[in-house]
Amino acid sequence: MMDAGRHQNLTLLAYSEVEHVTGYIGNFNVKIRKKARYVNEDECTACADCVESCPVSVPDEYQQGFSSRKAIYIQLPQAVPSAYLIDMDNCLGNNPIACGKCKDACEKECIDFDMQDEIIDIEVGAIIVAAGMDVYDPSEMDEFGYRSYENVITSMEFERLICAGGPTEGHFVRPTDYKLPKRISFIQCVGSRSSKNGNKYCSNICCMNTIKDTLLLKDHYPDVQSKVFYIDIRAFGKGFEDLFMRSKESGVQYIRGIPGDVWEDPKTKNLLLSVEDTTIGKVQVHESDLVVLSVGVEPRKDMKKLQHLLTLSNSVDGFLLESHPKLKPVDAPTRGIFYAGCVESPKDIKDSVTQASAAAARASIILNAGKVEIEAITAIIDTDKCNYCGVCARVCPYNAITAPDRKSGVYPTIIQAACAGCGTCASECVQDAITMRHFKDDQIIAQVDAILEENNMDKIVAFACNWCSYAGGDLAGTSRLQYPTNVRLIRTMCSGRVDEKFIIHAFKKGAPLVLLSGCHFADCHYISAVTWTQRRVERLWNKLERLGIRPERLQLEWISAAEGQKFAKVMRELEEMRKKVTDKEVKETMEILAKDEEKAKAKKAKQAAAG
Amino acid sequence: MAEKAKFKCLRCGHEYEDKYTPKVPQERTCPKCLSNSVRRIEEKRKA
Ligand SMILES: [Zn+2]
Repeated sequence: MMDAGRHQNLTLLAYSEVEHVTGYIGNFNVKIRKKARYVNEDECTACADCVESCPVSVPDEYQQGFSSRKAIYIQLPQAVPSAYLIDMDNCLGNNPIACGKCKDACEKECIDFDMQDEIIDIEVGAIIVAAGMDVYDPSEMDEFGYRSYENVITSMEFERLICAGGPTEGHFVRPTDYKLPKRISFIQCVGSRSSKNGNKYCSNICCMNTIKDTLLLKDHYPDVQSKVFYIDIRAFGKGFEDLFMRSKESGVQYIRGIPGDVWEDPKTKNLLLSVEDTTIGKVQVHESDLVVLSVGVEPRKDMKKLQHLLTLSNSVDGFLLESHPKLKPVDAPTRGIFYAGCVESPKDIKDSVTQASAAAARASIILNAGKVEIEAITAIIDTDKCNYCGVCARVCPYNAITAPDRKSGVYPTIIQAACAGCGTCASECVQDAITMRHFKDDQIIAQVDAILEENNMDKIVAFACNWCSYAGGDLAGTSRLQYPTNVRLIRTMCSGRVDEKFIIHAFKKGAPLVLLSGCHFADCHYISAVTWTQRRVERLWNKLERLGIRPERLQLEWISAAEGQKFAKVMRELEEMRKKVTDKEVKETMEILAKDEEKAKAKKAKQAAAG
Repeated sequence: MAEKAKFKCLRCGHEYEDKYTPKVPQERTCPKCLSNSVRRIEEKRKA
């Protein structure tokens, strides 16, 4: 932190919040609110004279509420800059000044009650999101007695109690009697790997954190007996197994089983844990002086706000979704934005540092190059066809299209560096004013024609997105899974590219069955493009029904790159459905759609004649 | 506001009730056959 604060190429804006981000890769504009500290951070020497004079006392968040702080305070001892700030929510008041004792005490006259928030606008080429995570709050669960018993604490609270800079200056005591607990029980996976409480995922760091804690206790207090209650110990990193073995050899008892109940002896305030040791299949009761809940981590509470700010999406677990889980694990789907640390997934310090280094390197590539190479699959607007409706700008998941203005004759423009080529704009534009390079309408329609040219009744036309469904088909193939050979895939970058007219065209050309497949909502490689696919399919189902065509003949499926099995299963099911579509039904559909097309043409001609 | 709505699976024909938020697209899976071809049955269509 100190190095970061001193580095000549780094500007550290502490106690600040990003309020608005516009622009695109290489050209982001960021609006930052630098909050008023009410203390001149350049002049403050952190002498603490002000602190002694402050009459306000509130629980210290950093010390997990085990001690108190004043309204004028430093958030943590290692904070950079090392300067005080006034927590105005708890200060007796600055307008008018109700107390002012800190100001009187400060010889350097650093305190300014009139200080205002400052708005800073900066231009940056790349953004690294390292906003961290939150810790699971076990208050919602009752079985471990966290709400009821003082001697049940979380692993975060344990950290503060054993830390030399903590509320007890490193003297480890339990909350009820301030005495050293001789028997300590750690309960693993609290709020993790559970479909009942907390989160379904493994929080990654808790096993090693507990192993570290048990060794720390052995170092400081050799007589303390530690027990760890676990589902399984996940010590998978470099040197982790050694550390686990050291913990076991030092006498820490590892018991495979999570306590079902924890209750307190009202006299001694000791805790009793009822647990089934699954290695021997017996229910036991263990007595402890202190219970530590090894709590998991979870996405920040304000994650949605962060996502909205930077146009990002999240994976099923709520952490930020990367551009590609294997090939671009540091990149956000929005180009020019990178991730570092737990904002992307739970990870330990080493992994966070690795990802942060990678993110810095990825960002420096952009900054050093000074120009951005884009794939030739972006959108182009034909202003001759555009009628200023603005749908393209509204549906673009990347905000890559500027909104048009009919009054002043301003057409929408596509920021090529920001366009990812999903094609949602082209599919939603009813004027056909948008062309997707290499995925043009006529190129896709030509594929539909080629598929249905011969033996149309035997074919299933399937549109598959590049990243998930098409890759799922690849996996089915490389895994040698059996599925009907009459499915014909048309690859688009995203299911968002599949225009209503491609599907109607397929039916018009005699397709018995059409499949539209894309990524699962949580895996969408184009942020939210898949939601527009869903809307479009729902619209199409209604249209087909209105025309007297069975909506069932248009099938929708979300298939991920890892779901080769699902791909094969869906294809087998579709083949069964296809067999039931009769020649008569297909011919009727073709007639209905031909008539509908004639009607639409006549309507258009009438409108054109009317001016 | 989430409300309840009727859905029909266009793969197996199974009909069921589920939570529904108007204008918010949601990934749906048929509880019977696990297909994603799930369509909301609007009330007016029933009459
Ligand atoms: Zn079904």
